[in-house]
Amino acid sequence: MKEMLVILFSVVLIDNLVLSRFLGVCSFLGLTKDLKNAMGMSVAVIFVMMVATGITYPIYWSILAPINLGYLQTVIFILVIAAVVQVLEAIIRKAFPPLYKAMGIYLPLITTNCAILGVMLINIQEEYSFISAMMSSFGAGVGYMLAMFLFTGVRSKMEKADIPEFLQGLPITLMAASIVSVSFMGFKGVIENLFG
Amino acid sequence: MIIVLLNPILNATLIGGGIALLMGAAILVVFRFFSVEKDELQQELEGILPGANCGGCGYSGCSAYASVLADGSEKNTTLCTAGGQETATAVAAALGVKAGAVVPLVAHVFCQGTCEHTHERYEYTGTAHCASASGLFSGPNSCTYGCLGFGDCVNVCEFNAIYVEDGVAKVNHNLCTACGKCVKACPKQLIHLIPKHELATNVTCSNHWPARVVRSACKVGCIACSRCVRTCPVNAIKIEDNLAVIDQYACIHCGKCVDVCPTKAIHRGLLDGPCAVDEEKKAAG
Repeated sequence: MKEMLVILFSVVLIDNLVLSRFLGVCSFLGLTKDLKNAMGMSVAVIFVMMVATGITYPIYWSILAPINLGYLQTVIFILVIAAVVQVLEAIIRKAFPPLYKAMGIYLPLITTNCAILGVMLINIQEEYSFISAMMSSFGAGVGYMLAMFLFTGVRSKMEKADIPEFLQGLPITLMAASIVSVSFMGFKGVIENLFG
Repeated sequence: MIIVLLNPILNATLIGGGIALLMGAAILVVFRFFSVEKDELQQELEGILPGANCGGCGYSGCSAYASVLADGSEKNTTLCTAGGQETATAVAAALGVKAGAVVPLVAHVFCQGTCEHTHERYEYTGTAHCASASGLFSGPNSCTYGCLGFGDCVNVCEFNAIYVEDGVAKVNHNLCTACGKCVKACPKQLIHLIPKHELATNVTCSNHWPARVVRSACKVGCIACSRCVRTCPVNAIKIEDNLAVIDQYACIHCGKCVDVCPTKAIHRGLLDGPCAVDEEKKAAG
């Protein structure tokens, strides 16, 4: 139980997917203009991350690892994620139309989201057990959501600010993102104190 | 396991190819069982819309907009800004409704501080551009919100729709295409696009100073006295930061505010001369 909590807190706060590992930055910058988009994308990311881990984890440990094909993991995982997203989209569209509407165009976008692939690879690298891997994927998704929500708030403040012309648009967004990211460095060392 | 005995390159090919085949088969099967028949109308609409998924309509993509149009929950056929009037007409035709008008807009200069109404604070001898004049103590005008009259907007207008008369830019609404270039060019941000209406009634002033200061700077400035606000029968006028603003979409063009304005800051009709209806009234009365 304690191990799960450590994994959860460390992926959400310390090794935050977006703000510490710098994965999924494209959607982080692109979809944080309003809360509705951020919410849709975050929920979709959490969902796909869990499902994709559930599939890639057994593929790696039961097929790739025993016959020394670990080096194929990147290619195979990309393939699997793309296929899983396609299948999920079809199923959700048929079975849960409201959910499909809520996720809208974000589901296909996730196919090319590096955050998903990154988490899959990290789960393998850390040699987590299956349960831990699922927990880590869930935590990573929650961390992504946290980063999205925080940054949406920052950006809504920025819209009202008087920004010099040469910084308007992407430059000020990137600077704000870096400051938010720096703030997350403050969490380093928190886990050791929390869980002894 | 038997594959362990094979050549490593062959292994990789077989495993990679095998997984790819499996995934492909899974996708095929799932799509076979979970296919959703799309509305024919929706498909047609999706074909008409540009397919750029820009979200400019307020929906999450072209297919989302097409689906709400098809099921009738969205009546407005003019939301696609990327496609413009052409798309709007085609969409309306497909739906069998009257081709909705993309509300025509026209540029309007929100200042009438001509030379006779304002004075110069200093003699400006720099380059004859609004942008540079504006950079020197906000320009020579007594009203620093007002039109400088050097015609930066005239220079960018490709339709010769703007001219400067008496130190203030004016828009000939017959030539204006609402391209918005002048809106960007004006350093004082005096030009806005308003819905094109023969009797468009506007507080043609952009000054946010308090009344006393406005009076000393310009004879026709808005002093935020609120008389128009009280007179307006449809509550379309609001005072925002010492300036009356008329909601162009709520305005019924009755002209009552024009009559009560003590400084004649409210102007009725588009600004290329007296409009036809007023002329008729004059002739009749």
